Amino acid sequence: MPAKRVIPCLDVKNGRVVKGVQFKHLRDLGHPVDLARRYDAEGADELAFLDIAASLENRGTREAWVREVARELSIPFTVGGGVSSVADARSLLRSGADKVAVNTAAALRPALVSELADAFGRQCVVVAVDVKRDEALGWRVALKGGTEPTERAALDWLWELNDLGAGEILLTSMDRDGTGEGFDLPLIEKASGLPIPLIASGGAGREIHFLEALEYGADAVLAATLFHEGILPIPQLKAYLAQNDLSVRI
Amino acid sequence: MSAVTLIDYDAGNLASLEGALDRLGLSFQRAATPDEAAPGGPIVLPGVGHFEAAQKSLRERGWWRALPGLVAEGRPVLGICLGLQLLAEGSEEAPRASGLGLLPGIVRRLGPGVKVPHMGWSQVRRNYPHPALADPQGAWLYFVHSYALEPTGETVYVAEHGRPFAAVEARGNVMGFQPHPEKSGPAGLLLLQQSLAWMGASAPVPEVPCN
Repeated sequence: MPAKRVIPCLDVKNGRVVKGVQFKHLRDLGHPVDLARRYDAEGADELAFLDIAASLENRGTREAWVREVARELSIPFTVGGGVSSVADARSLLRSGADKVAVNTAAALRPALVSELADAFGRQCVVVAVDVKRDEALGWRVALKGGTEPTERAALDWLWELNDLGAGEILLTSMDRDGTGEGFDLPLIEKASGLPIPLIASGGAGREIHFLEALEYGADAVLAATLFHEGILPIPQLKAYLAQNDLSVRI
Repeated sequence: MSAVTLIDYDAGNLASLEGALDRLGLSFQRAATPDEAAPGGPIVLPGVGHFEAAQKSLRERGWWRALPGLVAEGRPVLGICLGLQLLAEGSEEAPRASGLGLLPGIVRRLGPGVKVPHMGWSQVRRNYPHPALADPQGAWLYFVHSYALEPTGETVYVAEHGRPFAAVEARGNVMGFQPHPEKSGPAGLLLLQQSLAWMGASAPVPEVPCN
């Protein structure tokens, strides 16, 4: 079994890493390459970049920073945001991204996942799924950054994505995201039955939350604020996970 | 001492590999065809994607024909990820196609009973000594693959995902890495440095202490 992975997630807007509450009042944290270097040195196992203002106009900007990150980083990285075609993905992979993440576009047109897997191999295809729990219906898929709930049953959708050719699932609990109260463990437990790797996201507030998510079957854990704000430094988190008998790269 | 030749055939992530070579202070050049290769020094065959598609692309560029001859002349060749698999005798991924046969063995699908692709960091252990490669002492390297070369008694480093497989294979002047050294942090850089220096790549910049 590979090591459990710790993945910082960086929001990028117009070639700068930003941080903000619900995309308002964005604060500039620096150039993607500077943060990439920092997390690489701290022992992050992988990085995820989400381009929150992806558009055709800024494609050139994006290719430029992706290329720079690829040259500077000695760990793998995923880029997502506005990927809705094989051409979008090709531009990112050619620039040096290891994987592309798709979300809404895959939900609206599931064949996209197969097209990407056929073109680049499923190991390049991360499908991000935002999930919200409905009292009556259970876990449902939410779109557009979790703001638009759908009727689609989340677990069925995960299995469908696996069949379509997804290489990895980035699963975010919108109920937990931003709460700091811990991951949605029952959701992780159910989703970990998938034959492809599962990245858990949404709700991390303390060390123990990461441990729980990994013990419930996640292959990797992803968080943003905790790492960016230095609340939980990655070396400290990884040392904690190792002390608790998880297999991590130190 | 020569520049590293990177085979450029649309099936590899050259940006990352070039970044790693930069950090090691090694000079390199891309070569879409054998004519564009450096006059000496190691030839690196990177690769991601499908076995058969990569093979087709290498054929179109003349590399598939040229590589066995170059190896016979003594040129060192290093295959990375799918590059290693292409150097083997064949792969279950493309039963109709054969490999270059420069490394022994057949590439087989991973599993059952484990998540495929094998994606992430796994530890490697030394299985057989190699003059260029130190004991990795449980180093973690980054893997992304669904197929793997069956190990032999002479496989240099072995890793495990459900079953043991060849992480580093070498025969004479031909070497293959299943992990991505350019994505494997400091341990990966060390692996690249040791192997490419042994293969005659231009030495690292002098800041690196020689001990």
